[in-house]
Amino acid sequence: MTSPSEVVTSGGAVALQPAVVSHKSPSRLFWERFAQDKAAVVGGVVVVLLILIAIFGGPLAASITGHPQNTPYENMTDAYGVPLGPNSQFWFGADSAGRDLFVRTMYGARTSLLVGIVASGLAVLIGLIVGLTAGFFGGIVDTTLSRSADVLLAVPQILIAVGIVAACSTTKEGCLGGLVQPGLTVVIAVITLFSWSYIARIVRGFTLSLREKEFVESARAAGAGNLRILRSEIFPNLVGPLIVYTTLLIPSNILFEAALSYLGLGIPDSQASWGSILSEVGTSGLYNVAWWLMVFPGGFLIITTLAFNLLGDGLRDAFDVRTDR
Amino acid sequence: MRKFLRLALLGGVVAALAVLAAGCGSSSKKSSGSTTTTNANGTGGHGNSVVGTGTFDNGTTATKGGTYTVGWESSFGFTNNFDPTGEYLGNAWGLYSNLMLRSLIGYKHLPGAAGNLLIGDLATGVPTPTDAGLTYTYHLRSGIKFGPPVSRVVTSKDVKYAMDRLADPKDGGQYSFYYTVIKGWNAVADGKATTVSGISTPNDQTIVFHLTQKTGDFNRRMSMPATAPIPEEVAKCFEGKPGDYGRDVVSTGPYMIQGADAVKLPCSSLKPMSGYDGANGSHIILVRNPDYNQSTDQYRKNYINTFKFLVNSNADDIFAKVQAGQYDDEVSTPTPKTIRQYATSHSLRPRMIPNVGDRTNYLSMNLTQPPFDDIHVRKALNWITDKAALQKAWGGPIPGSIATHIVPPVLYNNGLAEYDPYATNGEQGDVAKAQAEMKQSKYDPGHTGKCTAKQCKGVLMIADTRSVDKTMVPILEADAAKIGITYTVRSINGAYPTIQTPSKNIPIAERPSWGKDFADPYTFFALLFDGNAIIKSGNTNYSLVGITPTIAKSVGVTGSVNNVPSVNSEIAACAGKLGQDRTNCWEQLDKKLMTQVVPWVPYLWPNNVFIIGPNVTHWNYDQFTDGPAYSLVSVKG
Repeated sequence: MTSPSEVVTSGGAVALQPAVVSHKSPSRLFWERFAQDKAAVVGGVVVVLLILIAIFGGPLAASITGHPQNTPYENMTDAYGVPLGPNSQFWFGADSAGRDLFVRTMYGARTSLLVGIVASGLAVLIGLIVGLTAGFFGGIVDTTLSRSADVLLAVPQILIAVGIVAACSTTKEGCLGGLVQPGLTVVIAVITLFSWSYIARIVRGFTLSLREKEFVESARAAGAGNLRILRSEIFPNLVGPLIVYTTLLIPSNILFEAALSYLGLGIPDSQASWGSILSEVGTSGLYNVAWWLMVFPGGFLIITTLAFNLLGDGLRDAFDVRTDR
Repeated sequence: MRKFLRLALLGGVVAALAVLAAGCGSSSKKSSGSTTTTNANGTGGHGNSVVGTGTFDNGTTATKGGTYTVGWESSFGFTNNFDPTGEYLGNAWGLYSNLMLRSLIGYKHLPGAAGNLLIGDLATGVPTPTDAGLTYTYHLRSGIKFGPPVSRVVTSKDVKYAMDRLADPKDGGQYSFYYTVIKGWNAVADGKATTVSGISTPNDQTIVFHLTQKTGDFNRRMSMPATAPIPEEVAKCFEGKPGDYGRDVVSTGPYMIQGADAVKLPCSSLKPMSGYDGANGSHIILVRNPDYNQSTDQYRKNYINTFKFLVNSNADDIFAKVQAGQYDDEVSTPTPKTIRQYATSHSLRPRMIPNVGDRTNYLSMNLTQPPFDDIHVRKALNWITDKAALQKAWGGPIPGSIATHIVPPVLYNNGLAEYDPYATNGEQGDVAKAQAEMKQSKYDPGHTGKCTAKQCKGVLMIADTRSVDKTMVPILEADAAKIGITYTVRSINGAYPTIQTPSKNIPIAERPSWGKDFADPYTFFALLFDGNAIIKSGNTNYSLVGITPTIAKSVGVTGSVNNVPSVNSEIAACAGKLGQDRTNCWEQLDKKLMTQVVPWVPYLWPNNVFIIGPNVTHWNYDQFTDGPAYSLVSVKG
């Protein structure tokens, strides 16, 4: 909103002149607000760097060091099988099998981010569809979908995850006729299963509010059908919140994967993930003699979680014009 | 301000990590430097185990008194709630044999070969069989009584009752298969009789066993805890309820469950004894049995007043408490970290006691599943496996010596100690020999030395999720890749139920480990390689040696089930022999399995490493139970 500026004339009279109105698009306004949030920008830059590490880090690290991620190096464990710490060849030290922890941590970025982003994307997609449907149509549809989501929220997630992973891990083919393969797909499926209901509840709440707005009434009066209203009137208003919640869901799901891996239920050991590296510290009791197993994957996990949270906070503030900056 | 705080937070995290890394780095140099120069085995050779005398003696005279506290990791894990009829957990046997139960035959509770020598415990001596090896007669020692709440003299009928109970499946007997050689046993097992006809009790002091076949190790079978006398007046309260007697076990040994003197018969009044709160509970407390007569027992010294076995879910906490003297002993497995700590400390080293465990760790290959249905692939895997690296994964020479064949030499009276049909330099594997073997395989049609067939790609391997499994798997994958085999690894928390189900058709398993039930190789060969013993679930012949198409169909095995090698006749022949003939027979069978059948890659004969606390003054290993000889330990007064 611009206001007319006051111009004092030579005679002391005050004349009102029309101010120059800058026509800023919503996206430009968003970027301006976002750019003012230095923490969010730093978070965004770190996220971009992490994505680059996820794509190129593992192979690059293996190439630089000459250490494939799953090759054990016997000289990197002592006479008692305790792994050795960082040195000039093994920058992050070794794990208990004598593998290069730097290489595995870089590959771990790929696994962790892949799980976080894919599982969050799927959860958002499912949550969006369920939430939109429940909020817009109401009645029995709302009751059925919302109560289903509530039931899922009440389920002990880890126990169910243990059951699913165990059931799908005893054969090479996995379960459900090979649809759910042990490892990455099971982990993504489990995380998605327990994540979408949060999004669905949020989307439903927004939709309940939006469907009563004047522009929706106008569209309906103009003869728009339900599908069109959902697609053209309501969905665009959900994009902002969805982006925000997705960025907040990603770190949460990365931590969920880490928790599953920590319990030995996640990604196979041959596919490094930060959670599985951390799990080794717990199961082997090496935490007070092999600090590097905790510090490096744990550090990346913390930085990733923090960066996504900062980015999510910044996006939320930038989308929400009422936020006090 | 908010933005500044968030930036500061991000910076703070990075800085904290850097400081932590730098700080920890200095301590690492110290620890790794000290250990890399230490030769754990003291000999410089690969695979040598570090086993001492299996004893600890601080130089003082053992005195009576005190409490002996043992930290027990995770849970008791009993297979039958501590009911001796069905209890198959070795740690429970340690309590029974040393402290609570007196079977006809017993042991001296000593380490090494002396600990495997038989003695009469409830019986006056070890009988020689009569009737061409088919009859065993035991005479009971006088003066042995049941503890509370029974407090009466033990008779031969109490032994017979225990055997009848063991034969009856509804009472939960888990190793009754050892006794099917007794006449009439199967009739009870099949529900056609209630008492075993081949066991007679001509008087209260005598019990006679009539066998259907010569069984050279029958006296050893009568040393098992399930054969110890059970008072019918108590156990009948739990008929058909396997495990319930475990909360009211009546002692014949020097100790009883605390509270045994507070429970009352008849059955309607009988409550669980307070000193044991169940298999999922937190404690077992044993106190002296007032009805025990020390003069009847030459080998148990019983210095301790009270034993406390306390469940603790945190292994690190257990070892910390042992070191601090809050615990005296542990039922746990020291990790490489703990072993290094004790091995490199002059003051702590004497309190870490490695002992030969009468056990073999091995990779089992399924003879019916490709590519392991080809003996050349199985041999190639034996040649390529870096056993030294696997030994290190377990913590080096202290936790065990490298296994070179099926049965640990101690069970052959140290026979086959030098036998190593797949010996390689430093036991690190030999690529040339492995590839030479692989060239002969049908899965290497081009004779490249690597398995090029699709059957070698993504071979399903079942592993467990323990720390050591996670360390071993990459080593095994790297080894197999050298001969062209790649694995699809499925890590399962508790892998045994999967690999014990033949219909899963698991090609290779990383988890298997087998220990003796008693000191005779029969307890390896009969249970692990007898084709007739293959069952649908709980099967222990993981390699399916001796499987026939008929058995395969009945248990759901699909694969190469025709012409699978069998050693059934050899097992039957050896089982009837006695003395050195018997030992020689088992040794020949071991060699045949290693060279003509090749079902395993044996890689470790684990030691049982115990760490004892500063208050312990005398300790020794019990070779029969593969655990502490609780009846001989003592603590500071």
